[in-house]
Amino acid sequence: MVPMPKSRPPSQVLDFTVLPLHRPALPSYPLKRTHYLYIRSNAPRIPTEDTPREIFVKNVPIDATETHFKALFADNLGGARIENVDFEDARVAKGIRAPAAQGKKRKRGADDEDAKPEEVGQLPKTWDREVHRSGSTAVIRCVDRPSAEMALREARKAVKTGREIVWGEGVEGKVPLLGKERYAAHHKLRYPDQAVLQSSVDRFMEAFSAQEEEKARLLASQRAEPDEDGFITVTRGGRTGPAREEETKGKEEEFKKREKNRVKDDFYRFQVREKKKEKAKDLVRGFEEDRRKVEEMRRRRGKVRPE
Amino acid sequence: MAASAAKRRKLEHVSSDDEDEASFASFGSEEEEQDAAENGIVGYGVDGEASEREGSDGSMDGDDQDGEDENEHEEETRPSAGRTAARDLKNTTGTSNGIASGSRPTSSGAYATGTFKSSLFKLQVDELLEQMRPRHGKRENEAEAALHKIKQTIDKLPDKDPLSVTGAEKDLRKTHGVAIPFPSPRPPKDAKYKLAYAKPAGVNVAGSHPLKLASRGKSLEIDMVVSMPSTLFQDKDYLNHRYFYKRAYYLACLASGLKSVHQEDIHVRYENFGADPLKPVLVAESKRGRNEATAKARWRVNIIPCITEDTFSLEKLLPSKNCVRDQTAATNGAASKELPTPPTPFYNSSLRAEMLAMPYLKLLNTASKTCDAFRDTCLLGGTWLRQRGIASDLHAGGFGSFEWSTLVALLLQGGGPGGRSLLSDRYSSYQLLKATLQVLAVRDLSKQPLIAGPEGTLPGHPDSDLPVVWDAVRSHNMLYKMSPWSYKKLREEARTTLKMLNDPNYDGFEAAFVQRVDNALYQYDHVAELADSTTLELSSKHADDAQQSCRRLYSVLLQGLGDRIRRIDIIPHSAESWALDNSTPGSTTSRKLRIGFAINPDTVNRTVDHGPSAEHKGQAAAFRKFWGDKAELRRFKDGTISETVVWNAGESVLEQIVRYLLRWHFGGPAADGLTFAGDGLKKKLPHGSTAASFSPIQDAFKQFEADVRGLDGLPLTIRQLSPADAQLRSAANDVPMRTRRPKPANVVLQFEGSARWPDDLIAIQRTKVAFLLKLSDLISGSLTSATPRIGLENEGNDMLNQAFLDVIYDSGAAFRIRIHHDREQTLLERMLKDKTVEPSAKDTAAVGLAMYKRDYIKAPAHTQAFAGLCSRYPALSGTIRLLKQWFDSHLLFNHIPEEIIELIAARTFVQPWPWQAPSSVQAGFYRTLNWLTRWDWRNDPLIVDFSEGGDLKQAERQSIATKFEAWRKLDPALNRVVLFAASNVDAEGTTWTDGRPSKVVAGRMSALAKAARAEIEERQLQLEPASLFLSPLSDFDFVLHLDPELAGKKRKSSSKQAAFKNLEIDHVDDEVMVGFDPMSGFTNELGRLYGSAILFFSGGNERAAIAGLWNPQTSSRPWTLHLSYSTTPLKSADKEKAQAEVNRDAILAEIACLGGDMVRRVEVNRH
Repeated sequence: MVPMPKSRPPSQVLDFTVLPLHRPALPSYPLKRTHYLYIRSNAPRIPTEDTPREIFVKNVPIDATETHFKALFADNLGGARIENVDFEDARVAKGIRAPAAQGKKRKRGADDEDAKPEEVGQLPKTWDREVHRSGSTAVIRCVDRPSAEMALREARKAVKTGREIVWGEGVEGKVPLLGKERYAAHHKLRYPDQAVLQSSVDRFMEAFSAQEEEKARLLASQRAEPDEDGFITVTRGGRTGPAREEETKGKEEEFKKREKNRVKDDFYRFQVREKKKEKAKDLVRGFEEDRRKVEEMRRRRGKVRPE
Repeated sequence: MAASAAKRRKLEHVSSDDEDEASFASFGSEEEEQDAAENGIVGYGVDGEASEREGSDGSMDGDDQDGEDENEHEEETRPSAGRTAARDLKNTTGTSNGIASGSRPTSSGAYATGTFKSSLFKLQVDELLEQMRPRHGKRENEAEAALHKIKQTIDKLPDKDPLSVTGAEKDLRKTHGVAIPFPSPRPPKDAKYKLAYAKPAGVNVAGSHPLKLASRGKSLEIDMVVSMPSTLFQDKDYLNHRYFYKRAYYLACLASGLKSVHQEDIHVRYENFGADPLKPVLVAESKRGRNEATAKARWRVNIIPCITEDTFSLEKLLPSKNCVRDQTAATNGAASKELPTPPTPFYNSSLRAEMLAMPYLKLLNTASKTCDAFRDTCLLGGTWLRQRGIASDLHAGGFGSFEWSTLVALLLQGGGPGGRSLLSDRYSSYQLLKATLQVLAVRDLSKQPLIAGPEGTLPGHPDSDLPVVWDAVRSHNMLYKMSPWSYKKLREEARTTLKMLNDPNYDGFEAAFVQRVDNALYQYDHVAELADSTTLELSSKHADDAQQSCRRLYSVLLQGLGDRIRRIDIIPHSAESWALDNSTPGSTTSRKLRIGFAINPDTVNRTVDHGPSAEHKGQAAAFRKFWGDKAELRRFKDGTISETVVWNAGESVLEQIVRYLLRWHFGGPAADGLTFAGDGLKKKLPHGSTAASFSPIQDAFKQFEADVRGLDGLPLTIRQLSPADAQLRSAANDVPMRTRRPKPANVVLQFEGSARWPDDLIAIQRTKVAFLLKLSDLISGSLTSATPRIGLENEGNDMLNQAFLDVIYDSGAAFRIRIHHDREQTLLERMLKDKTVEPSAKDTAAVGLAMYKRDYIKAPAHTQAFAGLCSRYPALSGTIRLLKQWFDSHLLFNHIPEEIIELIAARTFVQPWPWQAPSSVQAGFYRTLNWLTRWDWRNDPLIVDFSEGGDLKQAERQSIATKFEAWRKLDPALNRVVLFAASNVDAEGTTWTDGRPSKVVAGRMSALAKAARAEIEERQLQLEPASLFLSPLSDFDFVLHLDPELAGKKRKSSSKQAAFKNLEIDHVDDEVMVGFDPMSGFTNELGRLYGSAILFFSGGNERAAIAGLWNPQTSSRPWTLHLSYSTTPLKSADKEKAQAEVNRDAILAEIACLGGDMVRRVEVNRH
């Protein structure tokens, strides 16, 4: 094992404070290791009203949970209180966002923040604890601006004094276990209660059909009414079924084929001659190709020689 | 323009050839004064040869180029014009020797028409021939200089007066320390004849060297024929080895002369010529050449005594005659008259061959003059034989390049119906090769002897299982050296090669001429080795020689194994040369004997052999005599009582029989010295190697299908329920229903179409869940023996399949249903085409489409194809499973998809060239590894046709190849698709390999296979198969040693652990834990979390370890927000440009934490 780097790492990288977190030794890997958390105040390109009380974190430990950060801030960073933590990759792994119903246009993605409360019909979660991609980021929202500022200040101080911060201290028993237990829990959650599943699917389908109706009505009205410029939008639906598109394509191909077969291609003499010429050309081309292949083979493998 | 080019080339050829020939001719002309004059002998026909070469080469080169750019009209006329011209030329020149016979017919037509398999093949053959044609270099000069010296010495040797046998022996030993290499049995001490030496009647260079029929190889061999004067022999000398005794003395005299003169520079030893114990010869090698480490400058001269054609009477030496009288019988006098003396065909032909050295040289010379492609055919044929381990030597089959050339020469002159020739002078070398193979393959020469020659009569042929090609002109059986088994082998090889060459979809060039085929482990299904073949000879009542004991062994095994085997091959130890002071090779040489078996997989494991019924007394007695104690009288259900042999079903029946037969017929020592190669592989497949071990799950699936189809009240009717899992195609490593914790087998369910499905991907997935819920209700309502459970998957990706239904039977069978709805494909494709869809959603759609095709279309088709293949090839299932174990134990479990492994294994069976499809798991496994080393996956796609009838047509292959090339053009760095594997059920080629394995991993696969192949080829029969499955973990940067219980579900668990496991499983509800696999969960998660920094290697169930390699790109680099791995900041002078490198320790600590108690130990090999 290589010894720990002797020189202490820099305390600052760009505008990030480098906060060393120590990870307790494990029986399978019995040395203490240091993880570096990069931390600064949040500065998104388009700030929101919450931005001032947010802290941006890079290099989140893979096993981090909200509880972890709460404990870290409470015990080591001046007791700042956290409202919630947004993990970068949580969107992919966190639950399913079913479309909202009741007259709203269905959204595809999870970007529409305002539609959140109306979501129904999510499928049950299958993990009791998420893990995060190595090197990922998170946004920590504190209860207010002062506590966010205090946390950052405390972090800088901790780095300066070289105080040892142990990752995961004070969360024992508060978060689900990792290791085999986590996979066992996942296995259990993966097979949800069928009644729960049924109601979730039912609610989803109900919302979905309501939404489809809404959409149909919208299209119908678009078809019926000219827009402000006086045009009538051409839309899908109406009497044309959804399968129409493929059908027309099929017909088109059929037609092309028929056209092609109308005059057989060995009817005129020139056709025959051209065909022959084509064949001869193919032969030559094939020969050239083969030669190239052999040449390439020789280049690759050297001379042909029996083993 | 073309003509002038050709002319220019001609001139060049003349000059270069002239040099070659001149140097050789100068030697020949003085060597051969009188012979060349009367026979027009040929190695030395300088002018003729030079002009012929020039003519042919010139015309070929010229025409190649013409053919490319001229149009088809000319292409058609040209060859025929060439042909007529050639014919005219031949007619006018007649049969006079030494005159070239016009240009070759292989003009441009050879590339386009049927004279070659394909132009690619032709080009490759041309290149090979270019490499093989003999060249005149330093080595040749050196060897020829030595030839001169030897000849001079021989010419100067004084005559010796006749001496008695003992006198001659004493004399030579005393004066020169040279023993006389008398063949066994030694001449009697009181022999009345005398041995003498007289100046040879002639010394000639014969064999393939002067005719340029030998390929340029590692060693140069030149045969020097010394004609013994006929004055030394008497008419009766053909009897009782007398000729051979005299010959041995003559040889010893030559040896003593050479020894005394060339002590300094030439090393002389005895060797049996072609391993024929009757015919020792002298082998002269350069002393300097021997000492050099490089084998490059090596050459050897074989000095072969022979006699002229008319020394002994022809009739006496016909194969039906006896020339070795039984000495004991002769002394008994009267008794011998009544007993017919058995014919001695081998002795007779061996002696006859001594008289035919020069006539055959003449024959070959004529052939190479009259037929342009003859020389190339000989080179190709010789190579073909050599790669198959068949050679002139007795132990190597007795059919080498000399026999090949002679056979072709004979067939050029006759052999066909009505004495017409079978082959035409105008054939191309490829056609000659193929036609000759055809003769060897189709006609059983032991039943229907081939007669070449104008008279076309065959004298009585004594031995019916020996092949005969009767050269009527020279009254000789060309194949006299072949044994029944070597002839069978030759036939099978010829048949295989023909089949291969006729396969339009396979370019057989490499398999025919480049690949070595003769490794016993590849060649045979099972190989046994006898430690000491003398145990066979000793066991006989009469003192058998090695040849006879082999024949006895062969016939015993053949009778005992019956239809269990297709073929037996016996390979005795090879002969070696020995020093001049010994009369026999001595016992230093290895006496190992190999027996190869090609089995019949359907019958090889039959445990009961029925003999004759008890009523047939005579037959029953013979049966009892053959089987000894093993034979017992049994009464069967149908009332018959017959002699029977019963074998133990638990072990290999073949091995039991061979061991028993050896013990019974050849005694204990022989049986004890027998080892079967590849026993270790059997242990790897504890549940049996055939698909039969999967029949419980197959039956369970049938039951399951019936159950599902029988459900009442389904909203839609079921169209199809198709298996899509390795367990259901007999290819899974865990034999289902034998392991304690079943793994659900994937099944795809498709309903009849309905218009009521929603037209939205997400809603479709939810609807599927609703269907599964309904199905689950119905199953739990109507089936008491099965438990349904719905599980979720692809969490967070709601366009992909969201749920499956596990149905677990009490019997232990478990199935996992997913619903296939074909509208998904259209919707996904539409999304991909839609320009308004954002790129991230398009990516998801692409993933979804690939998954859709793989899970719902390709996987069921693949499963169906393999289920068929496994019943067609009984050894396939075992081969696949071994191969999977091999990949897993080298920690490639998470990289090489199992379908690819199956395809690779199947290729060995459906495209077995240059062998036949293997019938045993070990042959299948070794050959697959061999092919893996040859697979150049960068440049070659893997295309497998599973169908029996060759469903994959040329056009489809072409389109697959085009797809492959397109992929390579699109992604030349091989970042996405590395292995490209298509089949007749999957023309895409990237279904299983899009994204994995990566280039590094594929490279490792090849490297591992190469290491395995080297091990196989080096250790041969001593191979310990377990060693192929080991690779050091030190190759990796770090290793996570996992809890072995997670992986080793079925193996290596001591009984104690197993007991504990029982308890554990008993207390966890069995059904709840079905499909629980924390190992793969952990592995997948690691890949997701650290994919950009670490390459993980998992051992699956074979090895409880996950190893990792750090991505080299994670070393120190500028710090940015986008670094997708945990980093350590580095101190740097410039604050604005902070550096960072991967934080290895912290990552390992995280991994250890994530794995919890599953990770026993993290071992770091290097940083």
